[in-house]
Amino acid sequence: MKVFVLNCGSSSVKYKLFDMTDESVLADGKVERIGQENAVVTHQSSGKEKVTKTLPILEHTVAIQEVLNLIVDKEHGCIKDVSEINAVGHRVVHGGESFLDSVLITDNVKTTLRSLTDLAPLHNPANIAGIIAAEKLMPNIPQIAVFDTAFHSTMPKHAYLYAIPHSLYLRHKVRRYGFHGTSHKYISGRVAALMQKDISELKIVSCHLGNGASITAIKGGQSIDTSMGFTPLEGLMMGTRSGDIDPGAIFYIMDKEKLPVANINSMLNKHSGLYGIAGVSDMRDIERGVEEGDAMARTAYDIFEYRIRKYIGAYVASMDGVDAIAFTAGIGENTPSLRSQICRNLSYLGVEIDEEANKIRGKETEISTPNSKVKVFVIPTDEEVVIARDTAEIAKMV
Amino acid sequence: MDIRKIAVLGSGRLGRGIAETAASSGFDVLLFSQGAGTHYAPSQIEKSLDKKLAKWGITESEKRVILSKISYTSDLKELANVDLVVEATVDHFYTKQELLRTADHLCKPNVVFITTLTTLSISELARGISRPESLVGLHFIPPVPETPVVELSRGFDTSDEAVAVATRFAKALKKEIVEIAESPGLVNTRALLTLVNEAAYMIDEGVGDAIAVEKIIKQGWGLTQGPLEMADRIGLDNVLHLMNQLREELGERFTPCPLIRRYVRSNRLGVKTGRGFFTYARDNIFETPIEQED
Repeated sequence: MKVFVLNCGSSSVKYKLFDMTDESVLADGKVERIGQENAVVTHQSSGKEKVTKTLPILEHTVAIQEVLNLIVDKEHGCIKDVSEINAVGHRVVHGGESFLDSVLITDNVKTTLRSLTDLAPLHNPANIAGIIAAEKLMPNIPQIAVFDTAFHSTMPKHAYLYAIPHSLYLRHKVRRYGFHGTSHKYISGRVAALMQKDISELKIVSCHLGNGASITAIKGGQSIDTSMGFTPLEGLMMGTRSGDIDPGAIFYIMDKEKLPVANINSMLNKHSGLYGIAGVSDMRDIERGVEEGDAMARTAYDIFEYRIRKYIGAYVASMDGVDAIAFTAGIGENTPSLRSQICRNLSYLGVEIDEEANKIRGKETEISTPNSKVKVFVIPTDEEVVIARDTAEIAKMV
Repeated sequence: MDIRKIAVLGSGRLGRGIAETAASSGFDVLLFSQGAGTHYAPSQIEKSLDKKLAKWGITESEKRVILSKISYTSDLKELANVDLVVEATVDHFYTKQELLRTADHLCKPNVVFITTLTTLSISELARGISRPESLVGLHFIPPVPETPVVELSRGFDTSDEAVAVATRFAKALKKEIVEIAESPGLVNTRALLTLVNEAAYMIDEGVGDAIAVEKIIKQGWGLTQGPLEMADRIGLDNVLHLMNQLREELGERFTPCPLIRRYVRSNRLGVKTGRGFFTYARDNIFETPIEQED
């Protein structure tokens, strides 16, 4: 079975084509700057040269068509015809309470997805645009939605409910949903494999640290709490998102700055986090700033690190212990100094880090010492393979 | 037909607002202007976006994308490449008709024309073009980027297809569409001018000064802008013109208050001249009234 996985952002499409007989990647790539005259398509089929093209791509349908052309291209492709694709898996950020697991996309599913747009305004509209484009281009191929929120559907009530009038949950489903579910699911599976233990016996803290960042407490293979909440805004400090903030401060700011709701939303989502403190949102720029003695870069770095550590501590308490801590995603996989600073301050848990092993970037590695009471891993995440597995499973039943 | 590129005819406050909102929603916009507007419009749109940026409403990169989507022209021949035309000039019948006639000759056959008129008749305006079924009234209420509702009205010949295109466009701009019957002043302008006129009478009669009248109406009704500030932003010359048109259609109750006439005669036209019911720190849009005069 061949599964085509799509991850559509507002101006980008990332994709992978899997052969599910051995989960091998036949092709992968991305389209960036969708909506512009100089969009960039990067494509590589397994064992072939990477292709990069710059061309006008104004919308997702054109982007995906371009990708499909490359996939079946005689020189750069890996299959002869699009009909060889058996199923398409879409990453969808927010499934709300309507979708607790992956689902075959129907008209009703799309209607429900549109109704969830308010919950993830930065992501869901782009995900839906990708679905519509893929349906148009591959009308007879099953389309499956895999949700970032689904893995967290196992959270107990005391973790997902907010301490606000219960009627708001009943009326509007205001609760913690959590995100990056496919990543946390993949990471917990890999931790169990690396530790050669049954996942049901393990307590894992999974730290997905990218431009968006979240931490999840995974006990017995199930998410029991996670730092992102009703939207991806809650929790850790992120590239441009504030993470946790006293709601009282929001009302105060709105009053003092005379801000409408749309602006405060934009301020917290796009102007805060690392960017809000240091003026840059990329951790590599922050690290460079720290090296050059930039005081605000240092402050941003310290807040970022401190908040991760605070959440790890909280989740160790949530699970009454921890067997493993895993770092993943852009920052988690590629920032040894951050991992080192976090782990140094977890000595009370018996965490011991091997500084030499910790120099690793972007490669699956255990970075704790043999004596460490808690195993610490760097694990490059692979959300696409999780999406492909779910997609294949559902497609078999269609 | 997919709408990708739109033309906005008129680069006044309304036209700029529509252009900015459409570009923010992903449309490519051709903003047509003549005279002073040609030089004024780009900097005014950038100022408006800078104001949003300063208040975290958009990001620096979003600002760049929005600006890159707006091109400016004074050559109507460029209308040949657009998918939708929004006529957003002041409510002068012959100006609008002449522009629409020219657009009618130049545009592709299936292009829908939107007019922002309020006090004039769509049916009458449509008589001047070869495709009257394509003309739809869509009254955007300034400040266009912030106001969530638009008034939609049909002329006698307007087709359902044209209404569907206009509706799709307005929805893409995240506006709620309320359809009403074709009538002078529609709802918003008619109600606003009544309120502005009565507020002017209250000042003229000494019931209260502009600050007092404005504060009671604004705060009492929970408005973000009071009627006098709104009038200053529309321009008191435009207010006077609209009232005269409504008086012709609807009768003496729209006779402008003498205070408005006096202000217009003394060039107190509102924000654009720095003085109207209030004075303004600079002659920019989006400035706050800082003191009352008289």
